[in-house]
Amino acid sequence: MAAQIKVLLSKLGLDVHNRGLITVANELRDAGMEVIYIGNSFPKEIIKTAIQEDVDVVGVSSLGGAHLTLGGELIEMAKKEGLKERLALVIGGVFPPADGTKLKEIGFDGIFMPGATREEIVTSIRQIVSVKMDRPP
Amino acid sequence: MAEKKKTTKEILREKLPERTAPSLYNPAALEGLCQEFEQWRSTMVGEEDRKNWCVTPHTILGSEIPREMLYTPLSNPDFDYMQDLGHSGQEPFTRGIHANMYRGREFTMRQLTGFGGPEETNQRIKFMLAHGGTGINVLFDLPTIQMYDSDDPMSRGQVGMSGVAVDSVEDMDLIFKDIPLDRVTVSLVTHYPSNTAILFPMYLVLAERRGIPWNKLRGSVQNDITLEEVVRSGPEYIPPKDCFRIQCDNIEFIRQNVPLWNFVTYNGYNLREFGTSGVTEMAVALANAIGTLEEMLRRGHEVDWIAERLAFFWSPASDFFEEVARIRAVRRLWYKIMKYRFDTQSPRSMWMRCHVQTSGVSLMREEPLNNIIRAAYHALACVLGGVQSLHVDSYDEAYSVPTEEAALLSLRTQQIIQAETGVTEVVDPLGGSFYVEALTNEIEMRILDEVDEIERIGGYVTALEKGWLHKKIAEYFNNERKMIEKGVIKLVGYNFYKAPVELPPINVFRYPEGVEEKQKARLGKLREKRDIEKVNSALLALEEACKKGENVMPYTLQCARVGCSEGEIFKVFKQAFGLWKPPVFW
Repeated sequence: MAAQIKVLLSKLGLDVHNRGLITVANELRDAGMEVIYIGNSFPKEIIKTAIQEDVDVVGVSSLGGAHLTLGGELIEMAKKEGLKERLALVIGGVFPPADGTKLKEIGFDGIFMPGATREEIVTSIRQIVSVKMDRPP
Repeated sequence: MAEKKKTTKEILREKLPERTAPSLYNPAALEGLCQEFEQWRSTMVGEEDRKNWCVTPHTILGSEIPREMLYTPLSNPDFDYMQDLGHSGQEPFTRGIHANMYRGREFTMRQLTGFGGPEETNQRIKFMLAHGGTGINVLFDLPTIQMYDSDDPMSRGQVGMSGVAVDSVEDMDLIFKDIPLDRVTVSLVTHYPSNTAILFPMYLVLAERRGIPWNKLRGSVQNDITLEEVVRSGPEYIPPKDCFRIQCDNIEFIRQNVPLWNFVTYNGYNLREFGTSGVTEMAVALANAIGTLEEMLRRGHEVDWIAERLAFFWSPASDFFEEVARIRAVRRLWYKIMKYRFDTQSPRSMWMRCHVQTSGVSLMREEPLNNIIRAAYHALACVLGGVQSLHVDSYDEAYSVPTEEAALLSLRTQQIIQAETGVTEVVDPLGGSFYVEALTNEIEMRILDEVDEIERIGGYVTALEKGWLHKKIAEYFNNERKMIEKGVIKLVGYNFYKAPVELPPINVFRYPEGVEEKQKARLGKLREKRDIEKVNSALLALEEACKKGENVMPYTLQCARVGCSEGEIFKVFKQAFGLWKPPVFW
């Protein structure tokens, strides 16, 4: 049996729109993952918690426009801590379409836009983890 | 032992006059009709339809109330026109709060505006007014809503996003440049009691500077504990009871000093969008309003002094007739509460005045132009329900803040309803519909039942502290998500009639660049030039007032006058009240 995937979820920065992420938290848990939900947080604290909790996945949510600024900071922080290669970093929220591509370029492993289904999210996270961490899906 | 406090529902049950007047329908005629109906049903209606006579529409943010296939006078046999409806402008105000409704005063077209720095927002406000917008509606950026300054490390990367950045009176001044404050109505979307206590004084100080007396100012703030303690997702919260106190302090001060201002807008909107049915949305707002009035009575005020200026804010979603019925139902229920629970004689106190904004979560990213149609139906339902003012969401909001073109289209949606469809000429055009009246009755009953549930927990603030609402929301939206995924709730272009090919992209708004730097520079300049001793003593006096239980607003006003920033003032609240950890259910 594959090891349980451990996920850290956080609202990025001061964003107040939290329905989406709470929904995702539920769905990942129902899919058998271990979920740690920390509410609103900033890149530095998110990475610190990711290290402490030794998670496989960090998922952040931004619907307020800060996906590139704070999202970029999160990736930088992960690189600095040497986590970029052994951690799946995913982001969801409201972005202009071109920014989806940019988020991929700066290093997010998964991008989820409004309308992403439970199945898309769960499957995609499992896949990223299996590829990145060389684990059976 | 003290007598157990009666709930609003119990009071209404005792005090509402008995239905003595004869029904509009003649009993003999009804009996005949009943036989006709049964015969029709057994001969004309197929077996399948008879079996599925009641069907529950599954819609985004819907209430899941079952509907019959056909409504007749038999659906509401003891219908009493004067007692249930009355004429428009007459008790129980089911048909509208004014006799002539939109013939007398058109609904206010109040489109939200706010992005980037104050300069950009000022330009957008002028654009909307130049195209026939009749009210201003200013939305603040995330750091401003959450009460952090633009130069706070917490704000980096988020300044001017989702709204306009405001740190001090200087920014307020720029937002309203060339706009005569004594001749416009301004809705400042200060969601929380805490940020209302901080931002509204900045607006008042701006009026002072321009020599405009406060009694000439017209507009509204939100000032709603539900937004601060439930709907919000933030790093730092003050406890519910302190938040409620600030809500009431704001109301008291504004009522005393800015007589034409609407000091609270019970915001069902953001709550419903977060995830509740239209019934819970209204029940929560009513419970909060009842709690507020009780607190104001305790503080020694007359009920009408407050009630005459209360306003509500609703989210209309896609179940068209439910939305029309809901607005009518809550208007009648509010009348009953004011007349029989608070014993008012003033018609103005019995009026439920409301603003609506079309539903944002109902908008889809897939095939975004479909959203234009959705929002137009939402808006039409509200106008048929008799609301006072409207904001229509833009079709591109599943991508970003609306472009100028999309914002104009939203305004045009309202103008087309108003000028081209003819629906505003007749008051309450759906009144008397067998279906709409039956649905209005059902929804009114369900709202009152949920108010009762809240009061039995111990009132609204206690229900919040216990996480009752947090839990209800989580259950609702998780269930809704499942219904969407299973295709039970149908969304055209998303899970129903999905397009086989991707459509061409739409234009999407880009935030202006350099806003953060500009805000920081302006705030830096203010910090240099202000009198730091005055700043410190104003902040200290505020902290004392918080701790002593004095009304906070005279003190936040003084803070605004001497150039305190928003973040500095919020820091005082945090020190004085401590922090609260809201429950999270998932």
